[in-house]
Amino acid sequence: MNAIKRRSFLKTSASAAAVSALPSIPINAQEATAPAATVIVVHGTDIPKMLAAGIAKLGGWDAFIKPGMKVVIKPNVAWNSKPEQGGNTHPDLVKACVLAAEAQGATKISLPENPCHPEKATFQASGIADALKGTQARLYRPAKGDYQAIEIPKGKVAKTANVPKDILECDCLINMPVAKHHSGATLTLSMKNWMGSIANEDRRAWHRDGLHQCIADFSTFIRPKLVVIDATRIMLTKGPQGPGDLEHPNEVILSTDPVAADAYAATLFKKAPFDIGHIQIGHEMSIGCGDLTKIKVERIEV
Amino acid sequence: MMTRRNLLRLILFVAFALLALGVLPEAWRRWSVLLPSLSPLLSLGGALAARSAGLLALLGLPLLVLPLFKGRFFCWRLCPMGFAAEMVSRLNRRNTGLIRRLPFIGKGLALLIIGSAAIGWPLLIWTDPLCIFNGFFAAWRKPFTWLSAVTASGFVLILLVSLIAPNIWCHRLCPLGGLQEWITQLGNRLRAARKPITQETATALSRARAGRRVFLGFALGGLTGVLYRHFGMQAAAAVASREAAASQRGQGRGLGRGRRRREQASGEQGTCGHDHDHGHDHACKCGPEHHIAIRPPGATATGFNARCARCGNCMTACPYGLILPDLGSAGIDGLFTPVLAFRSRNNQQEQFCFQECTACTQVCPTGALRPLTVEQKQQTAIGLARVFRGRCIAWEKQEYCVVCQEYCPYHAIIEVERNGVMCPIVDADKCRGCGACESQCPALPIAIVVNGRSRQPILAHPSPQL
Repeated sequence: MNAIKRRSFLKTSASAAAVSALPSIPINAQEATAPAATVIVVHGTDIPKMLAAGIAKLGGWDAFIKPGMKVVIKPNVAWNSKPEQGGNTHPDLVKACVLAAEAQGATKISLPENPCHPEKATFQASGIADALKGTQARLYRPAKGDYQAIEIPKGKVAKTANVPKDILECDCLINMPVAKHHSGATLTLSMKNWMGSIANEDRRAWHRDGLHQCIADFSTFIRPKLVVIDATRIMLTKGPQGPGDLEHPNEVILSTDPVAADAYAATLFKKAPFDIGHIQIGHEMSIGCGDLTKIKVERIEV
Repeated sequence: MMTRRNLLRLILFVAFALLALGVLPEAWRRWSVLLPSLSPLLSLGGALAARSAGLLALLGLPLLVLPLFKGRFFCWRLCPMGFAAEMVSRLNRRNTGLIRRLPFIGKGLALLIIGSAAIGWPLLIWTDPLCIFNGFFAAWRKPFTWLSAVTASGFVLILLVSLIAPNIWCHRLCPLGGLQEWITQLGNRLRAARKPITQETATALSRARAGRRVFLGFALGGLTGVLYRHFGMQAAAAVASREAAASQRGQGRGLGRGRRRREQASGEQGTCGHDHDHGHDHACKCGPEHHIAIRPPGATATGFNARCARCGNCMTACPYGLILPDLGSAGIDGLFTPVLAFRSRNNQQEQFCFQECTACTQVCPTGALRPLTVEQKQQTAIGLARVFRGRCIAWEKQEYCVVCQEYCPYHAIIEVERNGVMCPIVDADKCRGCGACESQCPALPIAIVVNGRSRQPILAHPSPQL
């Protein structure tokens, strides 16, 4: 019996795919005729309906969450800021996603978040603590013991990080940032959002070692199944904490490609995606596609 | 056997200990101010020194009136410190006779405190038993250091004294007991004056010497208060001049003065002989000796060291463990007074004085910390941040950073572009000194550090958080 082990099978099939470059798997964006990534942009005012419409376009929730799965949602709840100020992910969006996960039969829904302000005040002011009341979801600040040290094999500068165990052990990881201005990283979108889950000492190390490269490095390790960017209102100045100048694009951006989602979101701020360091590096490191000409943007009106 | 009297005292002891420990639910915690405020020496003495009385000062009135009719009822029936001292005294059955030989020192202490409070600089306010009791239990907060252990030692000392010489504290040393003794005597004299003159009342009335002693006590207190104040003012002036020197070095000026600062910086050096802003941190020893104590918000500008009773309430109230007992940065008379210590001075503590929190300002029995609303707190500057460019990732390494700007709740970090990288400058008109910048600065060593201000200015620039 020559039983093929799952891992070796995956390895051989992956290399076979790389050699033959099957047209169904566009590994190299330049060779593929089909778009390298798809971004769904839902415009409207009813946030739960917008999320539902976007997910339907991506194949429905069944494509992401199956009964019995452990789900982690990573919103951006970093600041003591009210929902209308645009400092945190909108509570309606988070709640809609949690309710959908519950309806899909998820057994555990966690929202680990390491906020910059004291967690109690932050979770309360953001409206998310209240939005999650009555659901089985748990929003919490990971304690020291909740982190696990991991290695980033493909990282150029950031080689290690401390990541909440829930994120490492989950079956479905959903990244749900809010789009806003950021003084250090120019913009904070989906890739930057992971800095809200890692430990404080890692954050500081990333700033010392080169912020944009480290953000991209970490994204080679962490692969969300789904990226949902809240652009219902965007903070144009004084980010990330605010309060700053606001604009209301009334959009929710969905994609399975974090770089593509970020690249589209950057245009809302009238920025070229490759002007944002980590989007460019993310594209070069093949984490996703940041080239707008190769991204298919599908617009839905709700 | 537990008598009913002792049962009540035990219950009060436990209740006040729990309040001081800060272990009760959050809504209850601010009532840690209750016990120390019951002492007129703390609450009314503080109000007298400040020439203004808040509502809390009213809590001191009962113990001012009660002894007129009931003598030292509070001492023998209610006082938790007295209860502890009495219980320990029972362990030693030997009568040392010290009580008979010793004068009532506490009566003198009480006069000294009131006399000096009248001058505005209360003396020895921290000898109050309710404050000592409170301080002991408040000390078991995090972080527990040897310094907080020292502030807890008064309670242990009283118990030790009681073990050696039973009951000596309540009968001879306690200033709160002394005060009540005076008022009891006053009550007796008033009652005697209303009765027809007999042999007994005549002797009570003839005690005119007592009045003379009271006057002498007050006068001595006032005199010492004046001297104390003189030296306290001198220390305050020294702090102010250090602060002025710091700001002369160009700390936190606006954008337009940037060039002038740089020119100034290259020619002129600070009192420490080093020029921080210009980026030399190599062998600079400008550490603690150049640190100006950061007081909790609402701290009174003058006489803080005198008016602080060291009861430890504010330190326990701080949800972030930022307030620590001082060891010299506020002057010798400021020993063990509360100072804020952010990350660089507080064991890498990553919290800061959160803009929505006024916990410490609500629990001060003497009014050394004024109770502030959230709005008032956000307009009060407790310190001023300072960028050490030689350590700063943006200034020195030319890397994207400005975490200080990210965290600043008051938009007090101005970004200046240098070779395409944004670099931080502190805007002194907006900086409240909350320490948010220091709490997460990624540079090694920390490149932005907060210093105190000798008085806490109310800033004109409205807080963006409101």
